Amino acid sequence: MTLTAAHPAAPTAPAPTRRRTWGRMSGRWPLVALLAVVSILTVSPFAVMLVLALSPPRAPTVPHQWPDALTLDNIVSTLTAAGFVSWTVNSLIYAGVSVVVILLTASMAGYAFAKKRFPGRDALMWAFLATMMVPFQATLIPLFVLVSSLDGVDTFWGMIVPTLANSQAVFLMRQFIRDLPDELFEAARIDGASEWRIFCQIVLPLTRPILATLGVFVFLWHWNDFLWPLVVAQSEELRTLTVGLTSLRGEEYPLAMVMASAAVSVVPCLVVFFLLQRYLVNSIASTGFK
Amino acid sequence: MRHRLRDPVAGLLFVLPMLVLFLIFRFVPAFGAAGMSLTDYKISGEWTFTGVDNYARLLRDPIFLGSLRVTVVYVAIYVPLTVVVALGTALLLNSVIFLKGLFRGMLFLPYVTSFVFAGIIWRWIYDFDGLLNGLLGYLDLGPVGFLDDTALVLPSLAVVQVWKGFGYSMLILLAGLKAIPESYLEAARVDGASAWQRFRLIVLPLLRPALFFVLVIETIGAFQTFDMIYVMTGGGPSRASFNLIYALYDQGFKFFDLGYAATIGVVLFLLVFVVSMIQRRFIDRSAA
Repeated sequence: MTLTAAHPAAPTAPAPTRRRTWGRMSGRWPLVALLAVVSILTVSPFAVMLVLALSPPRAPTVPHQWPDALTLDNIVSTLTAAGFVSWTVNSLIYAGVSVVVILLTASMAGYAFAKKRFPGRDALMWAFLATMMVPFQATLIPLFVLVSSLDGVDTFWGMIVPTLANSQAVFLMRQFIRDLPDELFEAARIDGASEWRIFCQIVLPLTRPILATLGVFVFLWHWNDFLWPLVVAQSEELRTLTVGLTSLRGEEYPLAMVMASAAVSVVPCLVVFFLLQRYLVNSIASTGFK
Repeated sequence: MRHRLRDPVAGLLFVLPMLVLFLIFRFVPAFGAAGMSLTDYKISGEWTFTGVDNYARLLRDPIFLGSLRVTVVYVAIYVPLTVVVALGTALLLNSVIFLKGLFRGMLFLPYVTSFVFAGIIWRWIYDFDGLLNGLLGYLDLGPVGFLDDTALVLPSLAVVQVWKGFGYSMLILLAGLKAIPESYLEAARVDGASAWQRFRLIVLPLLRPALFFVLVIETIGAFQTFDMIYVMTGGGPSRASFNLIYALYDQGFKFFDLGYAATIGVVLFLLVFVVSMIQRRFIDRSAA
């Protein structure tokens, strides 16, 4: 990767305006071309997957040959396969419940950290943030032991509840709510509004854009999560989509079927991406949210 | 009086649900990991205090030491690769206006997918009957065992993680680039600085905070790689991609040696901690 070429120079010597403009443009076209090539290469695995998913199931295993005809058969059989449907439902529950609960609890905690004075507030916020330093996998074993001692292994709550303690979500909500003017809350209080009412009628409506962003992230984290569902949801009935997909191996699963399943599994991520790309991009750029 | 108490009480009540979740599911396991690493905790729940036996065992365990080597080599391959790709694409995006939004979207797209998804597609791309070997075949080259060669497996996996994740670091660096005032670059241009000089003397120093953030995030991410390896190689061939997390998973959920697995978790934490400290120091010093 040539870094010099990537930061293009306008002509350094003063030149007639027309030539200079043309020079700038012509100087940039190679960059546009390079960017186009890199971008197309980046999305090409999606295209490859789609072609395979739409190939006849019994296609020869020399898949770099373009199939003679495309078919929706694999997609249809994926959508009607009992296993796949149940994995999808489980993933929807895992992600859906987490989104609702995390949005509520994180905005409540974020509001308290941002606007309330209570003993131990700063120490507590610091402790929340410190947990970000501990990788999830480092606590995987004790967490599993804990959940299993609470009889949570192979249950929905055992899979979902431990993932609700999310310091990133609290931190994001706190940063956003802190910037809301204090006068709003004072005015509501003087009018006699209860704390819960202030939260529901002032905090929640005013944080809608950041709630949308956080909701998207929480959805993607859970929809794409793998290790925790793998160890905690061991029975077939609780399997999520990511865990289920890894079990599609061997002779009885033609490549076209595996690719069709992968293609269907990524649809919610793509929908989220196309609808809310701007939110995702902005929040990553401004807060480093991952 | 009632009014004075209102704020603290409401604050504590609002923070309570998340606090309970944190106490039980973050703090207890974090301290539990340290505690368990000093025991021979078994899946049955029986345990005895064994002091630092687990740590001594790690130092003599060739499989663990191998996984440590794999992890370090993987970090050394992945981090520079992903930073270069992210920085290169960020610089390209920053200097192009034509279709910029479209390109940014295309480059960012893989980030919203899962590592399992990435692994399934790339498993086939790397396959002996797959896309890359098909293309190499046209050139009368190969076949290459991208995932079956002990020397190639880690670079091959690193490419997949770069593909899946570089869009995130690209956005961070792009935001950093946008924050550099155009007037600085213009002034350097007037003074006759070449593109390389402007990049090295103006862009790079001003980009340092963003670069530091990306380095730390990507290094930590590389230490934690698991899903993709599980899908693509299962740790093979001959443990050539068997990393720290895989060792932890194996000890915990294949051999049910939970105390020992928790010890590997503690090592992971220490590694991540030390690396972030070293990187912080290194960047601070070079900034001075």
